[in-house]
Amino acid sequence: MSGKPIKDMIIGTMRNGPETLKELEMAKKTGKDISQERDVVKKKVAQYHPSVLHLVVSEIEAVSPIAKRIRLVSEDGYLPPFEAGQYINVFCEIDGVRTSRPYSLSSSAKQRAFYEITVAAVDGGFVSGYLLQCLKPGDRLEANGPAGVFHYHPVFHSKKSVFLGGGSGITPFVSMIRTVLESGEDREITLLYGSRTEEAAMYHEELSAFAKKHSNFHYTLILSDEEKEGMEHGFLNAARIQAHVPDILDCTYYLCGPAVMMEFCRKALEELQIPGRSIRREVFGTRRDIWNEPGWPEGMTGEEIFHIQIGEKQIEAKSGESVLTALERSGVRVNVCCRSGECSLCRVQLVSGKVFTAQGALLRYADECFGYIHSCKAYPISDLELRF
Amino acid sequence: MAHYDVIVIGAGNGGLASAATLAVNHKKVAVFEKHNIPGGCGTSFRRGRFEFEVALHQLNGMNTKERPGPTRQLFRKWGVEDAIEWIPIETLYKINLPGGRGVALPADKKKACQLLCKEFPAEAEAIRRYFQMVWKFNEEIADFLAKSAASPANPSELKKFITKTGFPKIYKVLARYGVRSTQDVLDEFFKSRELQLCLSAYWCFMGMPPERFPFSILARCMYLYTVDKPYYVRGGSQVMSQALMDTIRRHGSEVFLNCGIRRILLKNGRAVGVEDENGNAHYAHKIISNVSPTITYAGLLKDEEVPEACRQYFKSYTTGISALTCFIGLDCPPEDIGFTDSFNLIYDSLDANQDFKNAYFTNTKADPIVATCYTIDDPCVSPPGTSIITAGTLKYGEAWEKLSPEEYHRTKYEAADQIIRRLETRFPGLREHIEEMEVATPLTHMRYLGHPGGAIYGYEQDLKSSVFFFPQDEFIPGLTFSSGWVNTCGFGPNYAYGDKIAQSILKEGR
Repeated sequence: MSGKPIKDMIIGTMRNGPETLKELEMAKKTGKDISQERDVVKKKVAQYHPSVLHLVVSEIEAVSPIAKRIRLVSEDGYLPPFEAGQYINVFCEIDGVRTSRPYSLSSSAKQRAFYEITVAAVDGGFVSGYLLQCLKPGDRLEANGPAGVFHYHPVFHSKKSVFLGGGSGITPFVSMIRTVLESGEDREITLLYGSRTEEAAMYHEELSAFAKKHSNFHYTLILSDEEKEGMEHGFLNAARIQAHVPDILDCTYYLCGPAVMMEFCRKALEELQIPGRSIRREVFGTRRDIWNEPGWPEGMTGEEIFHIQIGEKQIEAKSGESVLTALERSGVRVNVCCRSGECSLCRVQLVSGKVFTAQGALLRYADECFGYIHSCKAYPISDLELRF
Repeated sequence: MAHYDVIVIGAGNGGLASAATLAVNHKKVAVFEKHNIPGGCGTSFRRGRFEFEVALHQLNGMNTKERPGPTRQLFRKWGVEDAIEWIPIETLYKINLPGGRGVALPADKKKACQLLCKEFPAEAEAIRRYFQMVWKFNEEIADFLAKSAASPANPSELKKFITKTGFPKIYKVLARYGVRSTQDVLDEFFKSRELQLCLSAYWCFMGMPPERFPFSILARCMYLYTVDKPYYVRGGSQVMSQALMDTIRRHGSEVFLNCGIRRILLKNGRAVGVEDENGNAHYAHKIISNVSPTITYAGLLKDEEVPEACRQYFKSYTTGISALTCFIGLDCPPEDIGFTDSFNLIYDSLDANQDFKNAYFTNTKADPIVATCYTIDDPCVSPPGTSIITAGTLKYGEAWEKLSPEEYHRTKYEAADQIIRRLETRFPGLREHIEEMEVATPLTHMRYLGHPGGAIYGYEQDLKSSVFFFPQDEFIPGLTFSSGWVNTCGFGPNYAYGDKIAQSILKEGR
């Protein structure tokens, strides 16, 4: 700027001015060259949060008649650290449609040689079907993450953990249990695992063996659809929780499983007067029968077809399917990670039209003021116009 | 191939402000933002029942609708003043001294002065003199700026006038205190360390300890926050960011989210466009970088494209401080644990300069703690019966960058645990009421902001690098900057500077 000489002149007359000008001259001689900063930030951030994980399937093994564990290694040999309980979001292209699903990591967080995810068959599951039937060792997968807030937080969680897991919701707990037990951490874990049958229970043998070996791990399998000797029969209700957890108010509770089970457990904990701050819940996608969710517009079946306008493109969407799914199906690329309403990456602006917002969409105040939605949790209930 | 009047790289406060002013003045602008949401630092995130503000503590330059301050005037000009609920705050800050003594300073010159005289009667005379000096200092600045503005085309007129009379004679207070550190000036006035701490608080807004914090910035903060009152915003800073983005789009300009810029395109040494992360080129007459100069030159341009003079120039600027912040959602109202004021500075010793040195380490055993309870500013900020507190310390990124990935999570939780432990001695019961908590480290800031060292205030703002010496020199024609890296950081100053950059582009175009 043209005022430069005048600036120096003025400062020279101010108290401590000449000293400051001298200091500036010195710094110019000794400072760091800007070119040394090239890629420093990028590389450091990539150590923790690479934009894409390039993974290779190294092993696949059945863990129940309907589920497999898939071991993944990194293409370049590096996997970022994670906290036991976190997930990765796995991308795949099936029949020309690029989509993704978040899977909790089930491997121990104490090692980073590989990640393990566990995939269970879901009725009509688009991605799980593909992963279970078509994936083989040597295949490559892209993912993002690790991410998620369903993990132990030493600052405010109790050292006594109670895990309430249902069905394939066991997977983050497997990671947490392995992580704690393998490293000898000073924590106590009680796992109540609800499964339809013994056969359907995943990791049952490994968990049983852990319980035998480690006095700080207590494991109970509860079967809803069959009665077996030495196993409990029924649901994860208040009486059962109380029976297995001696000091119920001293614990932090972690819930992961199908929506129905989560709601059931939430009520049980409420009955036991467990404060909300002691209850952690994993978001577990969104129910497939969204039309049964409270607040769903009366008279709509989930089969109605609406038009979505986004940019130049017009696509068709079914009311019973999320906006995100409709966009992906038509080839629109959407930034996405948790697919459960939490991470906000799939946020889009709703210019006109109406959506049904499913439970668990963590919108910001500004989103509501300015009409933004999380496309993974929004269902079209009229024609829509969207904007990225 | 798209062509714009101006391309803005980054939708942070500075970028949005420049783009908004240009768009309102009928320029065709394109803003490119790598994130899915606008705002840069000016944003928020959700955990459970809570929404956590990331950056905004107190907005300055607002004042009332009838007597609008500079920030309010800008939002009025952008047409979104009434789209936002502005919440005035009556207290500047509360200083929590070692031993439990607390002094909450009202946002009113007379009341603040009276309170301090009552708290520190032995130095009452000095307190009154100090306040007078701070106000005089600001009046002289206003006068000098007005004179400079009146002769923009003819700086030599001003120069002649100043040479003839002598700057110190015309601007007595400015010449005496304008290039000194806060500690230096406070030592001249006061004996009591406690009293000094009650007056130096704003050092934490710029990330420099009192012994390196330019007094001129302190004097500006004290004056502006008192005159215009600090404000908060319903819904937090994301509301302002979103409102600005809406303004830009409403005026026919573009904001592209999820679209980072890979490099700046030069032609004959002039910046003519950008290439986005998808490989598409966009062209414009002028490029404004809202990204740090460091990353702009070292990340968006090739080494051989950066002039030697530029590399030389930036040697005197060092990457500034970052922060370790605990975002806390409590299942009780603030009064249950004894929180009475929104913005708190907590000292466990009287030597802030010494305590600040702990910023170079990962542990938080000695650092002054900044704790803001947003529920006090706006009871609707979280569900009834709950409250939100963000508590943290300033930390340099280097120690965190050196950690191995294995050490990271443990180190992060230990640092956060230490902060909670220290807060618990003053706010008993805090820990057991925590319902949600997230911890951000310098690496978190690095991830979301892309700043070297995870810096939250730009370059270090000491005497030789701020106020008179902000890195505003330009080296590549067609490329200019608008961010807290090249000017006083903070919301108000950034909006104002963004507007100023836009104004100068509008003038060029005429």
